[in-house]
Amino acid sequence: MTAHQCPTPLDGVRVIDLSTRLGAYAGRLFADLGADVIRVEPPGGVPERTVPPLVGGVTSLSFAFTEAGKRSVVLDLDDPVDAARLEDLLGTAQMLLTSEGPGRLRELVLHPDDVTARHPRLVHLSISPFGLTGPWADRPAGDLTLLAAGGLLTLAGDPDLAPVRAWGEQTSVIAGVHGAAAALMALLALEDTERGQVVDVSAQEAIAHSLENAVQYFDLEGVVRHRAGAGPAEAGTGLFACADGWIYLVGGLGGLPLAWEAISQWLEDNGVEDAEQLREPRWRERDWRRGEQGIAVFRTLFERFAAQRTKQELYEDGQRRGISIAPVSTPHDLLSNPQLTERGFFRKLAVGDRTLAFPGPPYRFAGLDVGPGEAPAEPGRHTEAVLNSLSASAAAQAPKE
Amino acid sequence: MSSPLPLKGLRVADFTWVGAGPFFTKPLADHGADVIKIESRSRTDPIRNMAPFRDGVPGPDRSGYFANRNTSKRSICLDLKDPRGRDLALELIAQSDVVANNFTPGTMDRLGLGYEDVLKVRPDVIYLEMPMQGNAGPHRAFRGYGLAIAAVGGLLGLTGYPERPPVGTGTNYPDHVPNPLHAAVAVLAALRRRRRTGQGQYIELSQLESTVNAIGPALLATAAGMNTERCANDDAVAAPQGVYPCAGDDRWCAITVGTDSQWAAFVRVLGNPAWAARPEFATVQGRRGARRELDGLIAEVTATRRADELADELTSAGVPAAKVSDAHEVLLDPQLNARGHWRVLKHPVMGPSVYDNIPYRLSATPGELRGPAPLLGADTRDVCVGLLGMDPDAYQRLAEQGVVG
Repeated sequence: MTAHQCPTPLDGVRVIDLSTRLGAYAGRLFADLGADVIRVEPPGGVPERTVPPLVGGVTSLSFAFTEAGKRSVVLDLDDPVDAARLEDLLGTAQMLLTSEGPGRLRELVLHPDDVTARHPRLVHLSISPFGLTGPWADRPAGDLTLLAAGGLLTLAGDPDLAPVRAWGEQTSVIAGVHGAAAALMALLALEDTERGQVVDVSAQEAIAHSLENAVQYFDLEGVVRHRAGAGPAEAGTGLFACADGWIYLVGGLGGLPLAWEAISQWLEDNGVEDAEQLREPRWRERDWRRGEQGIAVFRTLFERFAAQRTKQELYEDGQRRGISIAPVSTPHDLLSNPQLTERGFFRKLAVGDRTLAFPGPPYRFAGLDVGPGEAPAEPGRHTEAVLNSLSASAAAQAPKE
Repeated sequence: MSSPLPLKGLRVADFTWVGAGPFFTKPLADHGADVIKIESRSRTDPIRNMAPFRDGVPGPDRSGYFANRNTSKRSICLDLKDPRGRDLALELIAQSDVVANNFTPGTMDRLGLGYEDVLKVRPDVIYLEMPMQGNAGPHRAFRGYGLAIAAVGGLLGLTGYPERPPVGTGTNYPDHVPNPLHAAVAVLAALRRRRRTGQGQYIELSQLESTVNAIGPALLATAAGMNTERCANDDAVAAPQGVYPCAGDDRWCAITVGTDSQWAAFVRVLGNPAWAARPEFATVQGRRGARRELDGLIAEVTATRRADELADELTSAGVPAAKVSDAHEVLLDPQLNARGHWRVLKHPVMGPSVYDNIPYRLSATPGELRGPAPLLGADTRDVCVGLLGMDPDAYQRLAEQGVVG
């Protein structure tokens, strides 16, 4: 089947990406799905290009991850000629992506009220820290402070230390996945009605939407959840040390044993001293399983066994026995994870003068190539091509004499 | 004139359950899709029996964990192991645009509801599966509960304090963020393609592959030969950045000082402590180099301040800061409330209960929480008789035999 007969899901959709880190992941998702995502940057490139760590001393890896598949156009928006070019570009686009608060957008003449008035057939995906309205709409914010304000930070960490943030820029992921879904709904509406609109995503709200059951715990049972580490609430469940790190085992849920027979047999088959005591009836009792002593006894037995074995051995062996066990993977482990490598998950893309394994897309579309297909572009690589196509389309549309 | 819901006219046969699946079909339902959740009396969605419960009393129609993920949906009960139940499911699928499940690989095939079966009744279906590790590969049958995907997927191991074992996010993060919302993105993109080509789509979302994308930059760094370790609350650029103790019991303020001008403002708000004038703190490199010492000095000052007042002062001065809000405080949060983020919906069994509103607004075609979570099987009769055109007497007979209802 030719590419023409088998278009990608977002074939023919143009996205103008003026985002900061907060919005960059949403744009990446559109590029993966076949949209023409044009990253507009100031001369020299956006500051996100220099966020460490850098590969080859020049390319930010977080930037490389979010920019794969996007094109780069450099425009100096302080120059009226380039500002007019951006307007022309917006006239050819279905979507505009920004990720700053309303005050800053007004300074840039990119406030959704203005942009969608000038371009009524544009979907403006406006991801911002607190949304476009409300008393905090222009508060300065970053990943850590948004996780705090949204209520996720308080749930993570050890009780005797400060709450701790999820690794990376999860705010960009959280706001990005919600924003991308929301913008696609607006795109469907656009293609139905020829009418654009503003999609106003608050990162704080998207985080508050990610609190598992914490808000309902308070509402329904009057209980406020606090950080509780990753330690087991009951025997058999939680992180256990092994020869090269940790594994995560679920040997009980809700006070009830899970695959307990298989776990007991596993330790006995390997001659673990005292393992037979796991067959005593008290391990079926909720109070014992949830008591400090039960938790400690299990840990001693299991870690005695695990200390001699690697994550991967324990994972494969335990799973074969029907036990819910998982390695606590490092990124290094993931690059050689048998499941991911067998499935051809990683894609080799050039970043500067290096070729790096990129994670494949979050989903697979049968028969279609969806995912990071192009190396991240250096600043302005596509300026000329895009501007030429603009003037060509302007010439084609010019009234004939 | 009320604006149209953007997904009105779309129907989803929703076989998903527990965490990730229902949070993917929820935004579709909240934006107008007719999401019909299929359970059976003997095999209900397990999350119906997970805490918290209204007044702490368990019951399939009392769980807040379930309720918050299942607004705007309908619930039907079919015995899929009975051929008559399966045939009804296929009749429903024939009238559905999207079919979704997050069972272990092969489950839908065994029920006679696999992709090939469904194509026969709905050739342009968008069929999404979200197996844990994918439908193929050496680990396809591996099982996992709780944090398993966060553990295998790498987020758990990277999140925590450098000197301690990892702690993760304190939630089953993959179930709440990447997996359900990636699924929504995929299905909406496939719908857009179907409108232009008439073609349906099979989509496989491996929860592991989806989750790995949440730590994408760490994988690139490793591929480039660099180590990525747990780093607590440190940032790659900003210094100081941290979660600092404030007045009161277990009160904290998150602060990010990204630039030199923010540093100057930060020092002013702290009351110009003498140590802040030390020359090594004048540059971000110097502050990063001495960040542990600096954190201790900052903590001494913040410990005397109220977290909310400190955050107000710092943000007024241009420094990113926020009180670390707990679940009670987010309900009182002025910004979230100004945005209407919390909604109280009256549930027939649970009474008025708090739900998250949609975390975004579409200006022309906004969604809305159209109703609280459905009672188990509340809509079976409506769907069978009203939508599938079943004879009411025939429905009654099947209900008596436990096939429906």
